[in-house]
Amino acid sequence: MKITLNVNGNLHEINIDPGDYLLEILRDLGYKSVRRSCHSASCGTCTVLVNGKPILSCSTFAASVDGQTIETVEGLSQGEKLHPIQEAILEEGAAQCGYCIPGIVLTGEALLRENPEPSDDDIKLALNGNVCRCTGYESQNRAIKKAAEAMRGDDYE
Amino acid sequence: MPVDERELKSMLGGEDCKIMAGGTDLLVRIRSGRLSPSRIVSLARMKGMDGILDLGEEVSIGSRVTMSELLKCELIAASCPILPMVVREIGSPQIRNRATLAGNLVNASPAGDSIMALYLSNATVVISGVNGERREKVSSFIKGPGRTTLSRDEYVGAILLEKTPGYFPQFYKVGQRSAMAIAVASVGSLISGQEIRMAFGSVAPTVAVPEKACEYFEKAGEKFDDGEFARLAMLAISPIDDVRASAWYRSTVVKNLVQRTLNVWRKKG
Repeated sequence: MKITLNVNGNLHEINIDPGDYLLEILRDLGYKSVRRSCHSASCGTCTVLVNGKPILSCSTFAASVDGQTIETVEGLSQGEKLHPIQEAILEEGAAQCGYCIPGIVLTGEALLRENPEPSDDDIKLALNGNVCRCTGYESQNRAIKKAAEAMRGDDYE
Repeated sequence: MPVDERELKSMLGGEDCKIMAGGTDLLVRIRSGRLSPSRIVSLARMKGMDGILDLGEEVSIGSRVTMSELLKCELIAASCPILPMVVREIGSPQIRNRATLAGNLVNASPAGDSIMALYLSNATVVISGVNGERREKVSSFIKGPGRTTLSRDEYVGAILLEKTPGYFPQFYKVGQRSAMAIAVASVGSLISGQEIRMAFGSVAPTVAVPEKACEYFEKAGEKFDDGEFARLAMLAISPIDDVRASAWYRSTVVKNLVQRTLNVWRKKG
Protein backbone atom coordinates (compact mmCIF):
# COMPACT_ATOMS: atom_id res chain seq x y z
CA MET A 1 0.00 0.00 0.00
CA LYS A 2 1.03 3.60 -0.58
CA ILE A 3 1.37 6.06 2.29
CA THR A 4 2.70 9.57 2.76
CA LEU A 5 4.82 10.47 5.75
CA ASN A 6 5.86 13.99 6.61
CA VAL A 7 9.13 13.47 8.45
CA ASN A 8 10.77 16.64 9.78
CA GLY A 9 9.09 18.58 6.97
CA ASN A 10 10.21 16.18 4.22
CA LEU A 11 7.42 14.44 2.36
CA HIS A 12 7.98 10.76 1.65
CA GLU A 13 5.60 8.87 -0.59
CA ILE A 14 6.40 5.25 -0.06
CA ASN A 15 5.11 1.77 -0.74
CA ILE A 16 4.84 -0.34 2.36
CA ASP A 17 3.40 -3.59 3.59
CA PRO A 18 0.38 -2.99 5.89
CA GLY A 19 2.25 -4.88 8.61
CA ASP A 20 5.40 -2.72 8.49
CA TYR A 21 6.31 -0.95 11.70
CA LEU A 22 7.08 2.74 11.78
CA LEU A 23 10.48 2.05 13.39
CA GLU A 24 11.86 0.06 10.44
CA ILE A 25 10.30 2.36 7.84
CA LEU A 26 11.92 5.44 9.39
CA ARG A 27 15.32 3.72 9.62
CA ASP A 28 15.03 2.58 6.00
CA LEU A 29 14.29 6.17 5.00
CA GLY A 30 17.59 7.14 6.64
CA TYR A 31 16.38 8.46 9.98
CA LYS A 32 18.92 6.44 11.93
CA SER A 33 18.45 8.42 15.15
CA VAL A 34 15.37 6.26 15.70
CA ARG A 35 16.82 3.37 17.66
CA ARG A 36 15.71 -0.19 17.89
CA SER A 37 16.25 -1.78 21.25
CA CYS A 38 13.74 -3.76 23.33
CA HIS A 39 11.23 -4.22 20.54
CA SER A 40 8.51 -4.68 23.11
CA ALA A 41 7.32 -1.15 23.93
CA SER A 42 9.29 -1.07 27.16
CA CYS A 43 12.41 1.04 26.76
CA GLY A 44 11.53 4.22 24.84
CA THR A 45 14.61 4.37 22.58
CA CYS A 46 12.41 4.20 19.46
CA THR A 47 10.38 7.26 20.53
CA VAL A 48 9.35 9.66 17.75
CA LEU A 49 6.86 12.52 17.81
CA VAL A 50 3.63 11.98 15.87
CA ASN A 51 1.68 15.23 15.59
CA GLY A 52 3.90 16.55 18.38
CA LYS A 53 3.28 13.71 20.83
CA PRO A 54 5.82 11.06 21.81
CA ILE A 55 4.93 7.53 20.77
CA LEU A 56 6.83 4.26 20.40
CA SER A 57 7.63 3.54 16.75
CA CYS A 58 8.42 -0.14 17.50
CA SER A 59 4.78 -0.82 18.29
CA THR A 60 3.09 1.44 15.76
CA PHE A 61 2.16 0.42 12.23
CA ALA A 62 3.47 2.87 9.65
CA ALA A 63 0.10 2.56 7.91
CA SER A 64 -1.69 3.92 10.96
CA VAL A 65 0.19 7.24 10.82
CA ASP A 66 -0.33 7.78 7.09
CA GLY A 67 -0.48 11.49 6.29
CA GLN A 68 0.65 12.53 9.75
CA THR A 69 3.53 14.68 10.90
CA ILE A 70 6.51 12.84 12.32
CA GLU A 71 9.53 14.34 14.03
CA THR A 72 12.86 12.69 14.77
CA VAL A 73 16.03 14.10 16.30
CA GLU A 74 17.37 14.85 12.80
CA GLY A 75 14.73 17.58 12.59
CA LEU A 76 15.69 19.29 15.85
CA SER A 77 19.26 20.34 15.16
CA GLN A 78 19.93 22.84 12.41
CA GLY A 79 23.16 21.86 10.69
CA GLU A 80 25.92 22.22 13.25
CA LYS A 81 23.67 24.09 15.63
CA LEU A 82 22.29 21.71 18.21
CA HIS A 83 18.87 21.98 19.84
CA PRO A 84 18.96 23.47 23.38
CA ILE A 85 18.11 20.08 24.89
CA GLN A 86 21.01 18.47 23.02
CA GLU A 87 23.34 21.27 24.17
CA ALA A 88 22.21 20.86 27.76
CA ILE A 89 22.68 17.09 27.62
CA LEU A 90 26.28 17.64 26.49
CA GLU A 91 26.90 20.24 29.18
CA GLU A 92 25.46 18.10 31.95
CA GLY A 93 27.26 14.95 30.86
CA ALA A 94 23.86 13.30 30.48
CA ALA A 95 24.88 11.05 27.58
CA GLN A 96 27.19 8.17 28.27
CA CYS A 97 26.66 5.35 25.79
CA GLY A 98 24.11 7.62 24.10
CA TYR A 99 21.78 4.93 22.87
CA CYS A 100 18.71 6.23 24.72
CA ILE A 101 19.42 9.90 24.03
CA PRO A 102 17.34 10.44 20.84
CA GLY A 103 14.28 9.14 22.67
CA ILE A 104 14.99 11.27 25.71
CA VAL A 105 15.58 14.41 23.62
CA LEU A 106 12.27 13.96 21.80
CA THR A 107 10.30 13.16 24.94
CA GLY A 108 11.86 16.20 26.61
CA GLU A 109 11.05 18.38 23.60
CA ALA A 110 7.39 17.30 23.67
CA LEU A 111 7.25 18.07 27.40
CA LEU A 112 8.75 21.55 26.98
CA ARG A 113 6.35 22.46 24.18
CA GLU A 114 3.44 21.65 26.45
CA ASN A 115 4.98 22.84 29.69
CA PRO A 116 7.84 25.36 29.26
CA GLU A 117 8.44 25.50 33.00
CA PRO A 118 8.37 21.90 34.24
CA SER A 119 9.03 20.96 37.87
CA ASP A 120 11.46 18.16 38.73
CA ASP A 121 8.50 15.83 39.14
CA ASP A 122 7.03 16.86 35.78
CA ILE A 123 10.31 15.92 34.12
CA LYS A 124 10.57 12.61 35.95
CA LEU A 125 7.01 11.67 35.02
CA ALA A 126 7.54 12.66 31.39
CA LEU A 127 10.67 10.48 31.19
CA ASN A 128 8.97 7.50 32.84
CA GLY A 129 8.98 5.57 29.59
CA ASN A 130 12.60 6.22 28.61
CA VAL A 131 15.02 3.74 30.08
CA CYS A 132 18.68 4.73 30.47
CA ARG A 133 21.04 2.14 31.91
CA CYS A 134 24.06 4.48 32.24
CA THR A 135 23.23 7.71 33.97
CA GLY A 136 20.70 7.21 36.72
CA TYR A 137 18.57 9.98 35.17
CA GLU A 138 19.68 12.83 37.46
CA SER A 139 21.88 14.42 34.81
CA GLN A 140 19.14 14.11 32.21
CA ASN A 141 16.60 15.73 34.49
CA ARG A 142 19.07 18.58 35.07
CA ALA A 143 19.67 18.88 31.33
CA ILE A 144 15.99 19.22 30.51
CA LYS A 145 15.54 21.80 33.24
CA LYS A 146 18.52 23.73 31.92
CA ALA A 147 17.22 23.53 28.36
CA ALA A 148 13.83 24.78 29.54
CA GLU A 149 15.52 27.83 31.07
CA ALA A 150 17.52 28.45 27.91
CA MET A 151 14.46 28.10 25.71
CA ARG A 152 12.38 30.43 27.87
CA GLY A 153 15.24 32.94 27.73
CA ASP A 154 15.18 32.85 23.94
CA ASP A 155 11.49 33.70 23.94
CA TYR A 156 12.02 36.85 25.95
CA GLU A 157 14.66 38.29 23.63
CA MET B 1 -8.52 0.48 7.75
CA PRO B 2 -12.21 1.34 7.74
CA VAL B 3 -13.24 5.01 7.71
CA ASP B 4 -16.63 4.67 9.39
CA GLU B 5 -18.68 2.21 11.44
CA ARG B 6 -20.56 0.88 8.40
CA GLU B 7 -17.29 -0.08 6.76
CA LEU B 8 -15.95 -1.45 10.04
CA LYS B 9 -18.94 -3.78 10.38
CA SER B 10 -18.40 -5.10 6.85
CA MET B 11 -14.76 -5.97 7.65
CA LEU B 12 -15.29 -7.90 10.87
CA GLY B 13 -15.69 -11.61 11.37
CA GLY B 14 -13.70 -14.60 10.21
CA GLU B 15 -10.96 -16.56 11.90
CA ASP B 16 -8.57 -14.63 14.11
CA CYS B 17 -9.30 -11.14 12.92
CA LYS B 18 -8.18 -8.54 15.46
CA ILE B 19 -9.48 -5.03 15.91
CA MET B 20 -6.73 -2.59 16.80
CA ALA B 21 -7.04 0.84 18.42
CA GLY B 22 -3.67 2.10 19.70
CA GLY B 23 -1.94 -1.25 19.24
CA THR B 24 0.16 -0.81 22.38
CA ASP B 25 -0.72 -4.29 23.55
CA LEU B 26 -1.62 -6.13 20.35
CA LEU B 27 1.53 -5.17 18.42
CA VAL B 28 3.79 -6.11 21.31
CA ARG B 29 2.19 -9.54 21.42
CA ILE B 30 2.54 -9.91 17.65
CA ARG B 31 6.19 -8.80 17.69
CA SER B 32 7.01 -11.32 20.38
CA GLY B 33 5.37 -14.09 18.37
CA ARG B 34 2.70 -14.82 20.96
CA LEU B 35 -0.04 -13.90 18.51
CA SER B 36 -0.25 -13.99 14.73
CA PRO B 37 -3.66 -12.84 13.54
CA SER B 38 -4.37 -13.31 9.86
CA ARG B 39 -5.97 -9.89 9.64
CA ILE B 40 -5.87 -6.68 11.65
CA VAL B 41 -8.60 -4.08 11.33
CA SER B 42 -7.08 -0.77 12.46
CA LEU B 43 -9.29 2.03 13.73
CA ALA B 44 -6.63 4.62 12.83
CA ARG B 45 -8.61 6.20 10.00
CA MET B 46 -12.07 5.94 11.55
CA LYS B 47 -14.24 8.99 11.78
CA GLY B 48 -16.04 9.15 15.11
CA MET B 49 -15.74 6.96 18.20
CA ASP B 50 -13.33 9.59 19.48
CA GLY B 51 -15.60 11.68 21.72
CA ILE B 52 -16.06 12.09 25.47
CA LEU B 53 -19.72 12.94 25.94
CA ASP B 54 -21.75 14.15 28.91
CA LEU B 55 -24.93 12.03 29.07
CA GLY B 56 -26.24 13.46 32.33
CA GLU B 57 -25.87 10.57 34.79
CA GLU B 58 -23.11 9.00 32.73
CA VAL B 59 -20.06 9.90 30.68
CA SER B 60 -19.55 8.16 27.34
CA ILE B 61 -15.99 7.49 26.23
CA GLY B 62 -15.47 6.53 22.58
CA SER B 63 -13.25 3.59 21.74
CA ARG B 64 -10.61 5.69 20.02
CA VAL B 65 -10.09 8.11 22.92
CA THR B 66 -6.52 7.76 24.15
CA MET B 67 -5.46 7.52 27.79
CA SER B 68 -3.69 10.89 27.41
CA GLU B 69 -6.91 12.49 26.23
CA LEU B 70 -8.73 11.07 29.26
CA LEU B 71 -6.13 12.62 31.56
CA LYS B 72 -6.65 16.04 29.97
CA CYS B 73 -10.45 15.95 30.04
CA GLU B 74 -12.04 18.31 32.57
CA LEU B 75 -15.41 16.55 32.42
CA ILE B 76 -13.77 13.26 33.46
CA ALA B 77 -11.71 14.93 36.19
CA ALA B 78 -14.84 16.48 37.68
CA SER B 79 -17.29 13.60 37.29
CA CYS B 80 -15.19 10.38 37.35
CA PRO B 81 -12.06 11.28 39.38
CA ILE B 82 -11.15 7.62 39.97
CA LEU B 83 -10.44 7.18 36.24
CA PRO B 84 -7.56 9.67 35.86
CA MET B 85 -6.20 8.44 39.19
CA VAL B 86 -5.82 4.98 37.68
CA VAL B 87 -4.93 5.98 34.12
CA ARG B 88 -2.05 8.16 35.34
CA GLU B 89 -0.34 4.97 36.57
CA ILE B 90 -0.61 3.13 33.26
CA GLY B 91 2.48 2.59 31.12
CA SER B 92 4.36 5.75 30.16
CA PRO B 93 3.49 8.97 28.32
CA GLN B 94 4.36 7.25 25.02
CA ILE B 95 2.01 4.36 25.78
CA ARG B 96 -0.78 6.65 27.01
CA ASN B 97 -0.59 8.68 23.80
CA ARG B 98 -1.71 5.59 21.85
CA ALA B 99 -3.44 3.28 24.30
CA THR B 100 -7.22 3.36 24.74
CA LEU B 101 -9.67 2.47 27.49
CA ALA B 102 -11.59 0.18 25.13
CA GLY B 103 -8.37 -1.61 24.17
CA ASN B 104 -7.46 -2.22 27.79
CA LEU B 105 -11.00 -3.49 28.39
CA VAL B 106 -11.14 -6.01 25.54
CA ASN B 107 -7.72 -7.38 26.49
CA ALA B 108 -9.44 -8.32 29.75
CA SER B 109 -6.21 -8.75 31.65
CA PRO B 110 -6.64 -9.46 35.38
CA ALA B 111 -4.00 -6.76 35.79
CA GLY B 112 -5.75 -4.26 33.48
CA ASP B 113 -5.67 -1.24 35.75
CA SER B 114 -8.23 0.83 33.88
CA ILE B 115 -10.69 -2.08 34.03
CA MET B 116 -10.76 -1.63 37.78
CA ALA B 117 -11.92 1.97 37.34
CA LEU B 118 -14.68 0.66 35.08
CA TYR B 119 -15.86 -1.79 37.77
CA LEU B 120 -15.86 0.99 40.35
CA SER B 121 -17.78 3.27 37.97
CA ASN B 122 -20.39 0.58 37.33
CA ALA B 123 -19.56 0.93 33.64
CA THR B 124 -21.67 -0.22 30.72
CA VAL B 125 -20.02 -1.49 27.54
CA VAL B 126 -21.72 -0.41 24.29
CA ILE B 127 -21.19 -3.24 21.80
CA SER B 128 -22.03 -2.92 18.12
CA GLY B 129 -22.16 -5.45 15.35
CA VAL B 130 -23.94 -6.37 12.16
CA ASN B 131 -26.99 -7.33 14.24
CA GLY B 132 -27.27 -3.96 15.93
CA GLU B 133 -26.24 -2.70 19.32
CA ARG B 134 -26.28 -4.31 22.75
CA ARG B 135 -25.20 -3.15 26.17
CA GLU B 136 -23.62 -5.07 28.99
CA LYS B 137 -22.24 -4.25 32.43
CA VAL B 138 -18.45 -4.52 32.55
CA SER B 139 -18.64 -7.22 35.26
CA SER B 140 -20.56 -9.58 32.97
CA PHE B 141 -18.75 -8.47 29.78
CA ILE B 142 -15.47 -9.85 31.15
CA LYS B 143 -15.56 -13.65 31.37
CA GLY B 144 -12.02 -14.47 32.45
CA PRO B 145 -8.41 -13.67 31.71
CA GLY B 146 -8.35 -12.42 28.10
CA ARG B 147 -11.97 -13.47 27.57
CA THR B 148 -15.04 -11.29 27.02
CA THR B 149 -18.52 -11.80 25.57
CA LEU B 150 -17.47 -9.93 22.42
CA SER B 151 -18.09 -12.13 19.38
CA ARG B 152 -16.04 -12.09 16.19
CA ASP B 153 -18.35 -9.74 14.32
CA GLU B 154 -18.74 -7.25 17.16
CA TYR B 155 -16.75 -4.30 18.43
CA VAL B 156 -16.84 -1.99 21.45
CA GLY B 157 -18.06 1.41 20.30
CA ALA B 158 -18.00 3.23 23.61
CA ILE B 159 -17.89 2.74 27.36
CA LEU B 160 -20.34 4.51 29.68
CA LEU B 161 -19.14 5.41 33.16
CA GLU B 162 -21.48 6.34 35.97
CA LYS B 163 -20.59 9.76 37.34
CA THR B 164 -19.28 9.49 40.89
CA PRO B 165 -18.39 13.01 41.98
CA GLY B 166 -19.72 12.51 45.54
CA TYR B 167 -17.38 9.58 46.25
CA PHE B 168 -13.91 9.73 47.75
CA PRO B 169 -11.65 7.93 45.26
CA GLN B 170 -8.53 5.95 46.18
CA PHE B 171 -6.23 3.81 44.06
CA TYR B 172 -3.11 1.99 45.17
CA LYS B 173 -0.91 -0.07 42.90
CA VAL B 174 2.11 -2.06 43.91
CA GLY B 175 4.42 -2.97 41.06
CA GLN B 176 8.09 -3.74 40.61
CA ARG B 177 8.76 -0.18 39.49
CA SER B 178 6.66 2.94 39.18
CA ALA B 179 6.34 3.17 35.39
CA MET B 180 5.67 0.55 32.73
CA ALA B 181 5.05 -2.07 35.38
CA ILE B 182 2.26 -4.61 35.43
CA ALA B 183 0.74 -4.51 38.89
CA VAL B 184 1.63 -7.12 41.49
CA ALA B 185 -1.59 -6.15 43.17
CA SER B 186 -3.82 -3.09 43.17
CA VAL B 187 -6.73 -1.85 45.24
CA GLY B 188 -9.21 0.80 44.17
CA SER B 189 -12.19 2.19 46.01
CA LEU B 190 -14.93 4.79 46.05
CA ILE B 191 -16.39 5.70 49.43
CA SER B 192 -19.35 7.95 50.16
CA GLY B 193 -21.02 8.10 53.54
CA GLN B 194 -22.20 4.57 54.21
CA GLU B 195 -21.45 3.15 50.78
CA ILE B 196 -18.21 1.62 49.60
CA ARG B 197 -17.20 0.27 46.22
CA MET B 198 -13.97 -1.66 46.13
CA ALA B 199 -12.08 -3.69 43.54
CA PHE B 200 -8.81 -5.62 43.41
CA GLY B 201 -6.47 -6.07 40.44
CA SER B 202 -3.98 -8.88 39.69
CA VAL B 203 -5.21 -11.16 42.48
CA ALA B 204 -7.91 -13.19 40.66
CA PRO B 205 -8.70 -14.29 37.07
CA THR B 206 -10.54 -10.99 36.58
CA VAL B 207 -10.78 -7.78 38.56
CA ALA B 208 -12.30 -8.94 41.86
CA VAL B 209 -15.04 -7.19 43.81
CA PRO B 210 -15.25 -7.98 47.55
CA GLU B 211 -19.03 -7.89 47.72
CA LYS B 212 -19.33 -9.36 51.23
CA ALA B 213 -16.95 -6.77 52.64
CA CYS B 214 -18.80 -3.93 50.89
CA GLU B 215 -22.11 -5.18 52.35
CA TYR B 216 -20.55 -5.38 55.80
CA PHE B 217 -19.26 -1.81 55.48
CA GLU B 218 -22.75 -0.61 54.71
CA LYS B 219 -24.54 -2.61 57.43
CA ALA B 220 -22.17 -2.91 60.38
CA GLY B 221 -22.75 0.62 61.69
CA GLU B 222 -21.27 1.12 65.19
CA LYS B 223 -19.92 -2.43 65.32
CA PHE B 224 -17.68 -1.94 62.26
CA ASP B 225 -14.36 -3.68 62.71
CA ASP B 226 -11.39 -3.25 60.34
CA GLY B 227 -10.22 -6.82 60.86
CA GLU B 228 -13.60 -8.28 59.95
CA PHE B 229 -13.81 -6.03 56.89
CA ALA B 230 -10.35 -7.19 55.75
CA ARG B 231 -11.23 -10.84 56.40
CA LEU B 232 -14.36 -10.58 54.23
CA ALA B 233 -12.45 -8.65 51.57
CA MET B 234 -9.85 -11.41 51.32
CA LEU B 235 -12.57 -13.94 50.44
CA ALA B 236 -12.80 -12.28 47.03
CA ILE B 237 -9.23 -12.95 45.97
CA SER B 238 -7.48 -16.04 44.62
CA PRO B 239 -3.93 -14.88 43.94
CA ILE B 240 -1.34 -17.01 42.14
CA ASP B 241 2.44 -17.34 42.22
CA ASP B 242 3.99 -15.99 39.03
CA VAL B 243 7.08 -14.20 37.73
CA ARG B 244 6.05 -10.94 39.38
CA ALA B 245 5.20 -12.07 42.90
CA SER B 246 4.11 -14.95 45.09
CA ALA B 247 0.50 -15.53 46.11
CA TRP B 248 1.46 -14.95 49.74
CA TYR B 249 3.01 -11.59 48.91
CA ARG B 250 -0.03 -10.57 46.89
CA SER B 251 -2.40 -11.43 49.74
CA THR B 252 -0.31 -9.45 52.20
CA VAL B 253 -0.22 -6.45 49.87
CA VAL B 254 -4.00 -6.52 49.38
CA LYS B 255 -4.60 -6.78 53.12
CA ASN B 256 -2.33 -3.82 53.82
CA LEU B 257 -3.84 -1.73 51.02
CA VAL B 258 -7.35 -2.45 52.31
CA GLN B 259 -6.28 -1.18 55.72
CA ARG B 260 -4.66 1.86 54.15
CA THR B 261 -7.88 2.58 52.24
CA LEU B 262 -9.85 2.62 55.52
CA ASN B 263 -7.22 4.72 57.30
CA VAL B 264 -7.01 7.32 54.55
CA TRP B 265 -10.80 7.49 54.31
CA ARG B 266 -11.11 8.17 58.04
CA LYS B 267 -8.49 10.88 57.89
CA LYS B 268 -10.08 12.61 54.89
CA GLY B 269 -13.70 11.77 55.58
